[in-house]
Amino acid sequence: MTSASAPLVSIRALHKSYGPHIQVLKGLDIEMKPGERVVVIGPSGGGKSTLLRVVMGLEKIDSGSVTFGGRPYISSAGAGAKTVIDTEVRRSIGMVFQHYTLFPHLSVVQNLVLAPCKVRGEKKASAVRRAEALLERFGLAAKANAYPAQLSGGQKQRVAIARALMLDPKLMLFDEVTSALDPELVAEVEQVILQLAGQDMPMMIVTHDMWFAKNIASRVIFCAGGVVVEDGPPEQVLGAPREERTREFIDRVFHIKQ
Amino acid sequence: MSLDFSVLLLFQDALVLGLWTTIKLTLICVVLGSSLGFLVGLARTAPSAVVRGIASVYVEFFRGTPVLIQLFWIFFCLPLILGVELSNLASGVIALTLYMGAITSETFRASLKSVGREQMDACIALGLPRHVQVTSVILPQAVLRAVPTLLSNCVSLFKESALVSAVGMADLMFVGQNISNNTARPVEVLTVVALIYFAIAFPLTRAVTLVEGRILKKLAI
Ligand SMILES: Nc1ncnc2c1ncn2[C@@H]1O[C@H](COP(=O)(O)OP(=O)(O)OP(=O)(O)O)[C@@H](O)[C@H]1O
Ligand SMILES: [Mg+2]
Repeated sequence: MTSASAPLVSIRALHKSYGPHIQVLKGLDIEMKPGERVVVIGPSGGGKSTLLRVVMGLEKIDSGSVTFGGRPYISSAGAGAKTVIDTEVRRSIGMVFQHYTLFPHLSVVQNLVLAPCKVRGEKKASAVRRAEALLERFGLAAKANAYPAQLSGGQKQRVAIARALMLDPKLMLFDEVTSALDPELVAEVEQVILQLAGQDMPMMIVTHDMWFAKNIASRVIFCAGGVVVEDGPPEQVLGAPREERTREFIDRVFHIKQ
Repeated sequence: MSLDFSVLLLFQDALVLGLWTTIKLTLICVVLGSSLGFLVGLARTAPSAVVRGIASVYVEFFRGTPVLIQLFWIFFCLPLILGVELSNLASGVIALTLYMGAITSETFRASLKSVGREQMDACIALGLPRHVQVTSVILPQAVLRAVPTLLSNCVSLFKESALVSAVGMADLMFVGQNISNNTARPVEVLTVVALIYFAIAFPLTRAVTLVEGRILKKLAI
């Protein structure tokens, strides 16, 4: 992608607080181009999850705007004004959460076909066929009829990714999707996401895993105190950060693990 | 004193009939009461404060007063207010349904609440419209989670149903009392009646534990 291409996501002056006292995002500006894989890093409580939740359309915002593919998506005029979310745009974004959030009363394949059948009116048989193909690709063919409680954490997370992909999203959001996993299960989930990256799926990823960040990112954003502190290619932000705060964070958080 | 259980054999048919009345009454009020409880449970999570208020007044009132006085009130006072005669069956059904509605609404309210915010987030992220969220995600999980407590509620109702004997309904308790009075053998008769109640309630209470374990295991994520 050239820098001249139109942005996929454009976040402008985004302010978000929880109640009157917890200001989380304080004027965030991010522009994401099509095909980019943006890894967001930053200290705990810095608002990374909040950012992804806003982009997913799960949160009200105080002020600012988000556009998607050139279309207005989320906006609020500020000062108690309503947050306006275009739910049609929202449907082209998929998200995977830290704690799986599969539907526990439904089997794996039912989890996958629920939204395509109910939202897009797809025929059950066709949705099941697509679901089985996806499960096959993710090494889960044998688990199609299992219930979430019968799966390992890594399997659950792969099912959650497959479930989101059933809707052919134009952007995928991953919020610390391997943080709740036992260490030996992390790789199988990261492999699946790397596989998606190989197909040029645009993504926004929050992770604390340095190896994964380096391998998946086409761009890294360091967020702290509710603003973007540093934004650049992974070699810069992870390897030779320009900002003092980024350097401190990378030294403290990432280098201990290596 | 000497015990003579053979008197009970003479009244076998009456006891069976009484038990059948008790079971019928319980089943009717389980169905009516838990349907009512489900609606009230929904009302207690409704956005409208008025709806929530009315529902809580009902629940708190029926949970905070003895079932016997509720039954008496419906049997003696309601006909005076409405100006219609109520059979003892009708007042028994109304009273126990209202009682069951109140206790099961709490059960449903808790189970609706236990379907957490993360499930809602997943619904929104998948673009599920509101009615699909409710019918395909929230309700099935809420009902599943409610099953063990609902079973306990049924056991409570089964036991409380003995109160209808006080307004002259010929249930197991009523029949037992009559036999005991007529034969002057309260020890034998009332013991056997108690054992009949126990023989039905006990397996049910055990089932609660079993079912609970299974459901929790299924819903664990
Ligand atoms: N629903 C909420 N209500 C109130 N405060 C919240 C809520 N969600 C998040 N917060 C607060 O907002 C701040 C930012 O939270 P957020 O989860 O976005 O941080 P994060 O960068 O994802 O942190 P972590 O690395 O720990 O996941 C934190 O102080 C958190 O306590
Ligand atoms: Mg977070």
